[in-house]
Amino acid sequence: MKALLKNTMVIILALGLTGSITACSSGSSEATQQEGSGSIKLTLWDQSVGNTDPSAKLLPQIIEKWNSEHPDIQVERTGTTGEQYKTKIKTSIAAGEAPDIFYGMGGGSFMQPYIKSGNVLEITSYLKNDIKAKMAPGMSEAIETDGKIYTLPVYTHIANLYVNTELFDKAGAKIPTTYSELLDAVEKLKTAGITPALIGEKDRWPGMYWYDIIAMRQAGNAAVLEAFKDSAKWDSPDFVAAATKMQQLAKAGAFNSSMFSMSYDEMLGAFNAGKGAMMFQANWVNAGIEDPSSAVKGKVKVIPFPIFEDGKGKNTEIFGGAVDGFYVSSNTKHPKEAVEFLMYLSEQLGTKGFLAGAGLPSWNTDGLDTSGLSTLDQSSANIMKTATSFIAWWDNILPADSAEAHKNLIAQLLAGDITPEEFCKQMAQLKPTELSL
Amino acid sequence: MNSVFSNKTAITIFVLPTLLIFCGIVLVPIFVSSYYSLLDWNGVGKGTFVGLNNYAEMFNDPRVLNSIKNSLLFAAASIFIQLPLSLLLALILASNVKGEGFYRTVYFIPVLISTVVIAQLWSKIYNADYGLLNSLLESIGLSHLAQDWLGQKHTALVASFIPTLWQYVGYHMLLMYAGAKSISNDIIEAAKIDGASRIRTVFSITLPLMRPILKVCLIFSVIGAFKVFDLIYVLTNGGPFFTTEVPSTLMYTTIFDTYRYGYGSAISVFIILECLVFTVIINKYFKTE
Repeated sequence: MKALLKNTMVIILALGLTGSITACSSGSSEATQQEGSGSIKLTLWDQSVGNTDPSAKLLPQIIEKWNSEHPDIQVERTGTTGEQYKTKIKTSIAAGEAPDIFYGMGGGSFMQPYIKSGNVLEITSYLKNDIKAKMAPGMSEAIETDGKIYTLPVYTHIANLYVNTELFDKAGAKIPTTYSELLDAVEKLKTAGITPALIGEKDRWPGMYWYDIIAMRQAGNAAVLEAFKDSAKWDSPDFVAAATKMQQLAKAGAFNSSMFSMSYDEMLGAFNAGKGAMMFQANWVNAGIEDPSSAVKGKVKVIPFPIFEDGKGKNTEIFGGAVDGFYVSSNTKHPKEAVEFLMYLSEQLGTKGFLAGAGLPSWNTDGLDTSGLSTLDQSSANIMKTATSFIAWWDNILPADSAEAHKNLIAQLLAGDITPEEFCKQMAQLKPTELSL
Repeated sequence: MNSVFSNKTAITIFVLPTLLIFCGIVLVPIFVSSYYSLLDWNGVGKGTFVGLNNYAEMFNDPRVLNSIKNSLLFAAASIFIQLPLSLLLALILASNVKGEGFYRTVYFIPVLISTVVIAQLWSKIYNADYGLLNSLLESIGLSHLAQDWLGQKHTALVASFIPTLWQYVGYHMLLMYAGAKSISNDIIEAAKIDGASRIRTVFSITLPLMRPILKVCLIFSVIGAFKVFDLIYVLTNGGPFFTTEVPSTLMYTTIFDTYRYGYGSAISVFIILECLVFTVIINKYFKTE
């Protein structure tokens, strides 16, 4: 009875809340259904539905190929757009009605509660060494949680600075490699009447990306990792200096004045329309920038975030490296077949998606023809090759409520509502990460 | 017909299906939510029973208090701006103006459009870079007033009220219009013969006779203000800095972004209680015979 009540409540919550939201963008969700006479049916949920998202085109092809080669194991896919997807998957896992295979955000705090509560199938025993050998170096370690494996990698994403070279030339600004050059560029761009950098702070995580990279450049990745484990360390001179620099940039007018009402999607739209000279984002924006509909196609360069003269971070210390992948529900009736499909899907999507510009590969790509990759994808891949260390998205590393607090604090910092000192004091109140970093 | 209404079996047969559905999708979830509100629970796994701790925390949480303040402001704006406006339009419309049907339809259109569409529409109107509102201000020489309406603390709240007020003006207008139209012409004519002016007729005849419908409108608009979610969610998502946050958006963030199902359920229970209390108050002080 209790389970029934719980199911009813959760379904109603999901219908009531998501039903009204999903109507907001046309074509926001689409479903591909495969009819088959197979005895086993597997369901797959993912969030790749965007018009310029290469995975959205690849997924149906990969599934179609699998279905025709495996008449007895048929896969049915449902795609839902990003923010709604998160709500949908959380609700259905809570209701015990998760699909057999579903997309999960990079191993951090998003998946952690479900792994802990046993809602995700452990696949360690299914994996043979030959599949591990096909992965890129370091990947089989990256997907482990306390020595156990729950997912296979698909893509890796890293964040870098995107600069619109045309606008930089127009303003006579130099593409920045250091903090003082960055400030200088901001001033020149402003004088020329160009918005130096775009942030879609309505969604709060784009602003978080800026603070996080600034903190990593100021304190260095090692110090940041320490602070994740011991929150008191957030209140140290390096992080105060980082917050001061963030506020200094905001006060210098580096960001669009409309940032608090601009969403992430609007930010991408504005950058692709040439309305801002810089954007700090991960390489999932590449396909949109290189899309024929983009006004800045071919004019954008991707560079590592500038280093700081007084900072301990190096430009080989990378923000990102998060491994996104698919997970198998522990409720699945066909674990063996689901894992088999998971392996097929992850490798196919990882390699084909890399060639289509969806993300950097988590799989061995030797022997693949990469000449068709866009310049942006190639330079992102080259930046990743220089990496000496990775720190993934902080809101995935921090526990969920601390992540929310972190994002809200950064918004206040950007608006000048709190001083860098207060910011760091409040950061020191956050809960430490639950992940083993 | 009377025999059907006095037959208890017939009543049960007709009412039971609806009653069951209503219980299943409305009453049961409310009780389940009330139970969840006593837990410290992340939505998966096991919750710990914490009694009324969530409620105690709620009333010490400045974010919750601020969201309640916003919903009260919103209710006040509905009562003192939206309803008088609807009433005015309804009375004008009911006084046999030319093109009655046309105006009735036009004012009702926003009610038919999905709230999400309306929110998208208004967020474009308010947009700081290319918005209609700023362009309008610039074209009439008031460019110093142009600003980022939804992105600033001192304008965001008012800017997000306006679309909801606007959206439901047509709805209340239609209810009141029906109320005004249902008043028998004989009474109006009798007043005319007695020499009452049009204004006098409105205050002495129309409004008193519209009391029942006015009460319904009042309850609807107050409850609507307490429950508002979709419009705020799309327009501002409670931002910037929680200035436009209402209990329902806070509930959503608490449950789905910070995984605090127990605390979020406590907020949802509060919303229900808030609506109930105000319905009772309005019923008490707005008695109709």
